[in-house]
Amino acid sequence: MIRRGLAGFVVLFAVLAALPFVRDQIGLPVFYLTLASTVLFWIAQATSWNILSGYSGYFSFGQGAFVGLGAYTTAVLTGRHGIDFFWTLPIAAVLGVVLALAVGALAFRLRSFRGEIFALLTLAVPFILASLARVNEGIDGGQGVVVAIPEFPEQVGLFPDFLFLLNLTIATAAVAAAFAIQNSRFGWALASIRDAEDVAEGLGVATFRYKMMAIAVSGLIGSVSGSVFALQIGFVTVEGVFGLAIPLFVIVMSVLGGRSHWLGPVIGAVVIVTMQDRLADAGYEGWRLIILGAILAVLVVVAPEGLLVRLQMRPWISLGTLAGVVGVLAVLRVWGEPLDWFVAGMVAVAVVALWPVRRRSAVPTGTARPRGAPVEIPAESLAVERPRPVLGDAVVEVDDVARLFGGVRALDGVALRIRSGELVGLVGPNGSGKTTLVNLLSGAIAPTRGGIRVAGQDIRGLQPHRVAHIGVTRTYQIPRPFVSMTVLDNVAIAIMFGLQPRSLADARRDASRHLDVVGLGHRADAKPGEINLHERQLLEMARAVAAGPKVLLLDEALAGLNPAEIDQAVRVVRRIHDAGITIVIVEHLLRVVNQLATRVIVLDRGTVLADGEPHTVMRDPEVVRAYLGKHAHA
Amino acid sequence: MSTVQAILSGALIGGMFAVMAVGLSLTWGMLRIINLAHFGMILLGAYLTFQLATSWGVDPLLTLAVTVPLMFVLGALLQWAFDRLGVVELNSLLVSFGILIIIIQTVSNIWSADFQRMTGEVNPYATGSLSLGRLVFPAPTLLAFGAAVVLVGAAHLVLQRTFAGRALRAFEQDRAVASAFGIDHRRLSMALAGASGASAAVAGMLFALSNALTPSTPFEWFGIVFAVVILGGIGQILGTFVAGILVGTLSGLVSVLWSPSLAPFVLFSAIILALLFRPQGLFSQGAAR
Repeated sequence: MIRRGLAGFVVLFAVLAALPFVRDQIGLPVFYLTLASTVLFWIAQATSWNILSGYSGYFSFGQGAFVGLGAYTTAVLTGRHGIDFFWTLPIAAVLGVVLALAVGALAFRLRSFRGEIFALLTLAVPFILASLARVNEGIDGGQGVVVAIPEFPEQVGLFPDFLFLLNLTIATAAVAAAFAIQNSRFGWALASIRDAEDVAEGLGVATFRYKMMAIAVSGLIGSVSGSVFALQIGFVTVEGVFGLAIPLFVIVMSVLGGRSHWLGPVIGAVVIVTMQDRLADAGYEGWRLIILGAILAVLVVVAPEGLLVRLQMRPWISLGTLAGVVGVLAVLRVWGEPLDWFVAGMVAVAVVALWPVRRRSAVPTGTARPRGAPVEIPAESLAVERPRPVLGDAVVEVDDVARLFGGVRALDGVALRIRSGELVGLVGPNGSGKTTLVNLLSGAIAPTRGGIRVAGQDIRGLQPHRVAHIGVTRTYQIPRPFVSMTVLDNVAIAIMFGLQPRSLADARRDASRHLDVVGLGHRADAKPGEINLHERQLLEMARAVAAGPKVLLLDEALAGLNPAEIDQAVRVVRRIHDAGITIVIVEHLLRVVNQLATRVIVLDRGTVLADGEPHTVMRDPEVVRAYLGKHAHA
Repeated sequence: MSTVQAILSGALIGGMFAVMAVGLSLTWGMLRIINLAHFGMILLGAYLTFQLATSWGVDPLLTLAVTVPLMFVLGALLQWAFDRLGVVELNSLLVSFGILIIIIQTVSNIWSADFQRMTGEVNPYATGSLSLGRLVFPAPTLLAFGAAVVLVGAAHLVLQRTFAGRALRAFEQDRAVASAFGIDHRRLSMALAGASGASAAVAGMLFALSNALTPSTPFEWFGIVFAVVILGGIGQILGTFVAGILVGTLSGLVSVLWSPSLAPFVLFSAIILALLFRPQGLFSQGAAR
């Protein structure tokens, strides 16, 4: 699929690249090529922005930093140091990547307020570069830099032809890269980060690495395209490249077109640039930014998913509108020229496509029965004593672990051995440290003191995705599916990013097997928004199991279910256990713990209060007191 | 200019930054709206002060009688719209960015992109100053500092002492529970956003007193004001005040020791460091959210 698509880009490039050479023959005015250059520049920039901000959900206001870096690299090196233009492109590329990685290394460390803080940090970067450029006489010094027209091959024709070819090359490469990323593991990783970053990390996705890769690609495209921009504008000023116009444009373009697809920014760039051009041509210069701002403000509220998704929903009406409006204007010939007709047609399509739809309620109520009967899970009687599983070596070793939050001791002096094949119930009153223990075991937080080993490996300080690869995965009390993906792909992600990297097609095959185990096979193509809470909790389990753990941590996986659903969930947990996975289940329902667990650990105020057979532990007077209060009489 | 003078002037001008930042910080912290349109309201306030003073010779301070109610209504209306449309956090950043662009372009269409400044006749404060020995304090900076003290003090008292303030703080901590206790968050949010708009009007007036206006000025405020908001701790009123003074002093120092154009560089570096090491703000005790 990727190869076929890339071949398509090569063909498209070849066709468009022929335009400058045949424009006299087909009667194409040079003006159109100049406009096309502008469109292509913005396609490259919007795509650069989208690879980072659209795919991964980290909104950047700093696109100007890349454009400015590229533009100044070319302007200063060609103008002041006499370096050939073509040599400045790779230099700009390297600088762009270095800047991107530096910003990423700083920004992606933050854990709190991630999205907003990232946006503000990226807002700061162009300001910093701008003030450096302004002060430094060797770069700008506040005067601006004139960019000389470089020498280019004679056959190309005029300078606008040359610019068109440069922009076309970069834009095609950028869009092809965005296409390839979207359809590879890289793109799926970014999508999972956008939907639920912690969950992705916990399932084995190396989120930091993928974010760094995304910002590096973004910086590379942004700065190389910025180099060509220097030629295009001919005179580089601090305000022109580091200002907020560039981020404004790329954000509006991507939001308008759609952020989750490579084609979105392309559509957005074409619509916005041609529209702006026509507005300026018609003398509405003062309205251009007002319209841009209004598009942004309205779209985010009305159609955050963008034009592309809407066009796909109403393809024929949209095509009909475009053909109709352009056709009528072309026949009447009372107003404008062909470009005006085309832009009018596009605006009409945008309005038609974005017109609010009466959507079928996206989230069916919990009682609504899904289409197709669920796979029945054989109802082994719950009360029946099952054969004891054969216990193996210790798979989890917790030694004298303490974890402090500020001055609060969430856990203190906890020591545990969990042997493979066990099904451990972890219980305790609220605030006793159960969730902290789960977070420690999954690597989400590190212990303040003490050691934690899984399958013999020390996991202290490892990132959660490494811990997942070693063999611990978890579910969340409130299910956190990847909302943009189908149920099947939610599970496939966990398989793709396991210890052995796998392709999507490959992973999907295994994923459907895991869905069958939890009885969700019939909902494979549904989006998480369309399934009920019970099904979402089963999906959590399927996803965590698909990652191939040695130890599965179930954090209140049965919360909020009705009795029938609980029984089904209990059967699923048994199946998973029977498949040879060691399970630690955090649960408030003691009935469930008694039925399921081979061993119960009771936590109270951060320490282990009791540990042993379910029946003996539950009769322990200390445990009863911790649970029911001091004055209870068991 | 001596270093001492630079530090003191910077600290006083910092009062203006605090006034600019306090509304932004409150709506961010309490309503989870990052309202970039706040900068647009400051700009509008500044231009209205300029226009009223220039056309009718109104004393710049008295223009507040018009701009404050106007901006209150504008802020409250905006909040009403955000609330109805369910816009929070990242989306609010985008939507209000769009609104800011609209305001800036509208201002530019009305007043042109050229610099505008109140003349000495209509603006008696521009030339006035207070001298203490060798140190000189221009009236606008003193006014800015005074306004900051009054506004921040009032906001602090309202939030700590009144029912509405307590209700807002309860709402900030847990929306669901606060609503269950019968707190009408819609009205309170609109009142808070309105008050934040009113503070923007004051900030605009203070800016117009001593500066020439141009529609793109808000972009120059971005850095400083966000520095104040983040250093002060999001939603922390007293922190915002202290951070305003700190940032003013810092940029005054940088300007006199190196160069005014390096001030943004130092400020943004300070923000980045603060974000990395104390994302909850310099003066906040609580853990980062």
